[in-house]
Amino acid sequence: MRLDDPKLKKIEPPKLSLADRFYLPQVAAGLKVTGEHILGVIFKDQAFTVQYPEEQHVPSPVYRGVHRLNKDEEGRPKCVACMLCATACPAHCIDIVGATAPESWPDREKYPESFVIDELRCIYCGMCEEACPVEAIELTGLYDLTGLSREEMIFDKTKLLSVFDVTRDAEPMKFTTPPPAGTGPTQALESPVS
Amino acid sequence: MATIIINGEEYPIPEGEKLNAIQMAKRVGVEIPYYCWHPSLSVVANCRMCEVEVGSKDPKTGEIKMMPKLVPGCQTPAKDGTVLVTDSDKVKEHHRMIMELLLINHPLDCPVCDQAGECGLQDYSYQHGQANHRFVEERTVNPRKDVSSLIQLNADRCIMCTRCVRFTREITGTAELQVMRRGSHAEIATFPGVTLDDNPLAGNVVDLCPVGALLDKDFLHKQRVWFLSKHDSVCAGCAGGCNISVEENKGKIWRVKPRHNPHVNDYWICDGTRYGYKAESAPDDLIPGMFALDKDGEHVATPIDQALRKVDRGLKDAVVDGKVVAGILSPFLTVEEAYLMARYLKEVTNAAVLAIGPVPFKGEDRTYAPDKTKGRSGDTTFLDPKPFTLYAEKAPNARGVRAVLEHVQGSVVEYDDLLKKVEAGEVGALYVAGGYIEGWIDEATAAKVREKVGFVVVQDTKVSALAHKADVVLAAATYAEKAGSYVNVDNRLQYAGASLPPRDGSLPGLDLFAILLDRPGPARSGEVLAELAAKAPAFAAAAGGVIPEFGVVLGAGAPKAEPPAFVDAWFAPMGAAKSR
Ligand code: SF4
Ligand code: SF4
Ligand code: SF4
Repeated sequence: MRLDDPKLKKIEPPKLSLADRFYLPQVAAGLKVTGEHILGVIFKDQAFTVQYPEEQHVPSPVYRGVHRLNKDEEGRPKCVACMLCATACPAHCIDIVGATAPESWPDREKYPESFVIDELRCIYCGMCEEACPVEAIELTGLYDLTGLSREEMIFDKTKLLSVFDVTRDAEPMKFTTPPPAGTGPTQALESPVS
Repeated sequence: MATIIINGEEYPIPEGEKLNAIQMAKRVGVEIPYYCWHPSLSVVANCRMCEVEVGSKDPKTGEIKMMPKLVPGCQTPAKDGTVLVTDSDKVKEHHRMIMELLLINHPLDCPVCDQAGECGLQDYSYQHGQANHRFVEERTVNPRKDVSSLIQLNADRCIMCTRCVRFTREITGTAELQVMRRGSHAEIATFPGVTLDDNPLAGNVVDLCPVGALLDKDFLHKQRVWFLSKHDSVCAGCAGGCNISVEENKGKIWRVKPRHNPHVNDYWICDGTRYGYKAESAPDDLIPGMFALDKDGEHVATPIDQALRKVDRGLKDAVVDGKVVAGILSPFLTVEEAYLMARYLKEVTNAAVLAIGPVPFKGEDRTYAPDKTKGRSGDTTFLDPKPFTLYAEKAPNARGVRAVLEHVQGSVVEYDDLLKKVEAGEVGALYVAGGYIEGWIDEATAAKVREKVGFVVVQDTKVSALAHKADVVLAAATYAEKAGSYVNVDNRLQYAGASLPPRDGSLPGLDLFAILLDRPGPARSGEVLAELAAKAPAFAAAAGGVIPEFGVVLGAGAPKAEPPAFVDAWFAPMGAAKSR
């Protein structure tokens, strides 16, 4: 768009009144807000902060934390290795090796032989979740992601599926029936990367 | 002049060509969607996608009469006074209807379908289809099956365009494929007891299939096509020089597809080319770096500059000792490499003997010569059938290397003659530039060469019997890693770009010779070719180092301007890929 585009709307900053130019009314209004918060914390127990880690923070349901790979009714990874998440990912942190599904999965054509996310490179934008046609990848509410080395922060398929096992009750899948409880991550074919 | 009216505008019709409405409209930038039509197959007009409004203009009165019904564009000749309307509501409604019908039984599993991203159904669904699906009955489910050990058919994705069937009937004349059953139960199948295994051109049916029904098992489920970078190259598998597109991602070649060149391979490649990349780029037996013999007779890894200094010194020492310096230029070198190598050795000593390496032959030439009648089932008026030959000569550039040697040395020394010289103990230093796809020298010959020649340099991609014995081993680039031009059987000079960067530890031959020659700057094949073209009359056709899209015949005049190469609409880059 060019500067002389007729569709551009020019907006002037509002003119300041005499009181505005003294700034004192604004200072008073700011102090009032601060004061309300201080008094609210002292007398009404309205603090926004929590005593972490003794007290755990519960993020909003749309919080975007560590990824998980969902499992289907039979405990297999739901992912069909379409690589749309890897395509959508702006940080290029998803690496998938697709393969023809094993004979024992007659309803499936393709599955991820390896599925690796570099959690350090990830910017937690949620584009992968958005792109996935089968709701296989989701960002969970887990926010306390720590590790002792860079390698540890590169999550492979087994690890991502185990995040599902950890979070399945707290955050049920939105669209499909989850596998019966107790199906371990073993149903997934062993990942060559670990 | 003959003119045609397309969507209200008048355009001249190119002379000397028989075009149908689809081709003519494409020339002027109007896209008529199609599936079953292919320029080399007879017209059957069974997909009905290309139907447009057709009429004619009376040359005397100027009155335009339209036909009451839509007509397939693939069957409509572009002739004087033809009127085409491709964007009316009637045509759009027709396209929408065809798309809905084609998708009735379609599984819509694009996420797991290898064709996604270059699929005719996908593209036309966006352009002409509708978002909702009204068909509520159960869909016919066709099982997956193999039509050969390398090709899988997902019959539920098939749209019954019969391009594959027509290919096997009309081009290879082998007719392995057929349409089984009728109506909505129709299915592509091989005849009982027959597979596509014995058809060396079978892989082309995968390229022809506009949807993801016929799939290459070698590529199956491995990559998404939009990740692949395509590089224009020329096949090094035989003397034909088929034009190919080498498709790579993450430093690895994933598949090879044909590129249209009406003078060489038309639209096809053989399976040797298609799967040959594996043998040629298998990292296990590629020479991993530069090596030189140390005092104990062991090969030790040597930095490139030191290795090249050793080469230079070894050759020059031989000259000082009054011995003959000889070079073997394999027919796998590009024209530019051969030229620089010849120049270098002639610079070391003008008496250097330059020989062409052995030219491998395997089997016999095999030609498929489709004509306008054999196996054809539909309208053949627009066809211009071209033969396709698999050559027994399994080297891409024997003619190019010979031409270079003729220019530099005045004559070509044959490999056998050089071997005789070696046996007689006349040769003191030998520089061998290989690059063969398969082993080219046997153990006995290699031992003999080693015994008789004081200083042996082997520049190669694969470990050969001679490399084990050489004083210096130089790791050169495979055909996928180097850029340069080749001369095919018809003396056509064609340019092949590099598809991959040189692997670690190696350098393309061009760079090796450039360093040996002390040529400043990076060696660009175009510049070297321009140099050669300016000096050697045989290469005059490549003046300026620029080779046209379809190549140029050495010794013939300047090539005529030609219509661009044909690419099926769904393979043509779209959107962001266009600018890449
Ligand atoms: S988008 Fe979903 S199904 Fe596709 S590869 Fe990613 S996680 Fe798997
Ligand atoms: S053939 Fe095309 S439309 Fe059908 S599943 Fe494959 S990509 Fe999708
Ligand atoms: S398999 Fe492909 S090429 Fe053959 S008829 Fe079906 S859609 Fe056409």
